[in-house]
Amino acid sequence: MPIIEVKNLTKKYEYYKKAPGLLASMKSLFHREKLYTEAVKNISFTVEEGELVGFLGPNGAGKTTTLKMLSGILYPTSGEAKVLGHVPWKREKKYQKQFAIVMGQKNQLWWDLPAMDSFILNKEIYEVPDAQFKKTVDGLAELLEIKDILDVQVRKLSLGQRMKCELIAALLHQPKVLFLDEPTIGLDVVSQQKMREFIKTYNEQKKTTILLTSHYMEDVKALCKRVIIIDHGEIRYDGALSALIDKYVDHKVITVTFTKPVERVDLEKFCPVMECTPLRAVLNVPNEEVKKVAAKILTTYPVDDILIDEVPVEDVIRRIFTTGKS
Amino acid sequence: MRKYWTIITTMWARALIHRFTIVAYRTGELFEIVFLLILWTALFKGRDTISGYTIQEMITYVLVGNLVSIVTRNFLTDFMTKEIKDGALSIFVVKPITYLRYVLVRELGRVSLPFLISLVSQIGIMLIFARQLVIHTSFVHFALFIVMVAFAFLIEFFISFLIGATAFWTDETDGLSQTIYRLKRFLSGGYFTLSLLPALYIQISLALPFAYSFYVPTQLYLQKLTLWQGLKGIGIQIIWIALLYLCIKLVWRRGTRRYEGVGI
Repeated sequence: MPIIEVKNLTKKYEYYKKAPGLLASMKSLFHREKLYTEAVKNISFTVEEGELVGFLGPNGAGKTTTLKMLSGILYPTSGEAKVLGHVPWKREKKYQKQFAIVMGQKNQLWWDLPAMDSFILNKEIYEVPDAQFKKTVDGLAELLEIKDILDVQVRKLSLGQRMKCELIAALLHQPKVLFLDEPTIGLDVVSQQKMREFIKTYNEQKKTTILLTSHYMEDVKALCKRVIIIDHGEIRYDGALSALIDKYVDHKVITVTFTKPVERVDLEKFCPVMECTPLRAVLNVPNEEVKKVAAKILTTYPVDDILIDEVPVEDVIRRIFTTGKS
Repeated sequence: MRKYWTIITTMWARALIHRFTIVAYRTGELFEIVFLLILWTALFKGRDTISGYTIQEMITYVLVGNLVSIVTRNFLTDFMTKEIKDGALSIFVVKPITYLRYVLVRELGRVSLPFLISLVSQIGIMLIFARQLVIHTSFVHFALFIVMVAFAFLIEFFISFLIGATAFWTDETDGLSQTIYRLKRFLSGGYFTLSLLPALYIQISLALPFAYSFYVPTQLYLQKLTLWQGLKGIGIQIIWIALLYLCIKLVWRRGTRRYEGVGI
């Protein structure tokens, strides 16, 4: 039984255009042309219990819109969805007590008060027992290394510290499903890394089903076995991150360093040359010819070093987004 | 119940941090009241009554009326508009708590502390004018007065909620809330007692909810209304509460369907 079931979900937004300037503003006071944009088009997918799925896509792809529908913030234009057996936009208390959403760009913590005050408020709203509350806060604060800042006004915290507090606030009621919308946005490299480690550990320990959106490839690579790639509101790929490479890439990348200069034309006899300086060359070699080509280069040229690599996932995904076909 | 109490105490904790705002706010109000008192004292020079009011009654009208308006006001519209416009509402709609109830308690928390401070300073002024103040001892009148004030708070709260909810469609609510605020000041008897005005005007005011946040309860306090008239007033308040509540249900259902949770 899947925890999250999404079927033909669509969301249209209404908007209007206004040319710049005062005159256009005056005109728009009387007449506005309504336009529609489809943020999410007819998407379907399911997520099983305990899965950590990455939602990957460029800005405006429909990632956040999807999460907002699954958490009941938005009503869809059409389609169905069920999370833990509930229709999210009915906003049933029973459902709301079992999930949480963390939005990297919105905070639920009270800006003027220490994070602890917000935690206590959440504790009461979600009716978390005292003992569980204490245990969760202590445990999470320890894990995230923020025990000493829980009594400091939230607005005095750094972005990284604040995100950690946001995460604790969202996890107090031990949600079964967690939606993370850009949890690492704006964080420095070290904080990003810490956040990732935490999410990973939490998912493994608690078996919480997590749906995470990000446009940082690193997040997804570090955390998710499965990715859903979404672009212009449509799902381009849904499956294992590793299978993505098998599916879209038919070649490997060979990087050779020579001890003496080598001519580009000579190398082009074997395979397409991507880069070539006299002492270094990068070649794209079809999978089935890798061994043969590598052996040939080693015997023919004065090779100092040779590396055989997979095509980076970033490149694969960039290709999916730029070609726009699945 | 505990969750609501926590919301209130959290609001207090927040309000105490902004101690300067509380004091600053109160200063302006004091000026307004003192100004009204000076005005009436001047107008009463050389005459005993104006429209059936003695100077004592008029001073009581200003002081008690302002006390009522302090207790019944709220700051919901601004906060709600901002929450809808900036998308902060998203945080509340995903939580197992009803937004209307949540903000009601939050506003109680928000107004209660400034209220206490206003109350203290207001009582201070009343003590200065103690000799001029009309103090009645009818318990029933006073009980009715308290009920009316509590209902007035609810009515004002519901109106603010409805104005705030228009942000689902218009994003901004300043214009509407300013218009209604002015209308309210005038129709509630906040500038001067409605008794000075033509009968038709009073009739219209009494059918609308605003007079019950200033004029009517103050009249009740002054015992210028009979108990029966007071009860009738409370009846009208109940009708307004029911009506506004229905509107809120409808507007909220439609509004949250439009809500897009945009912004940062």
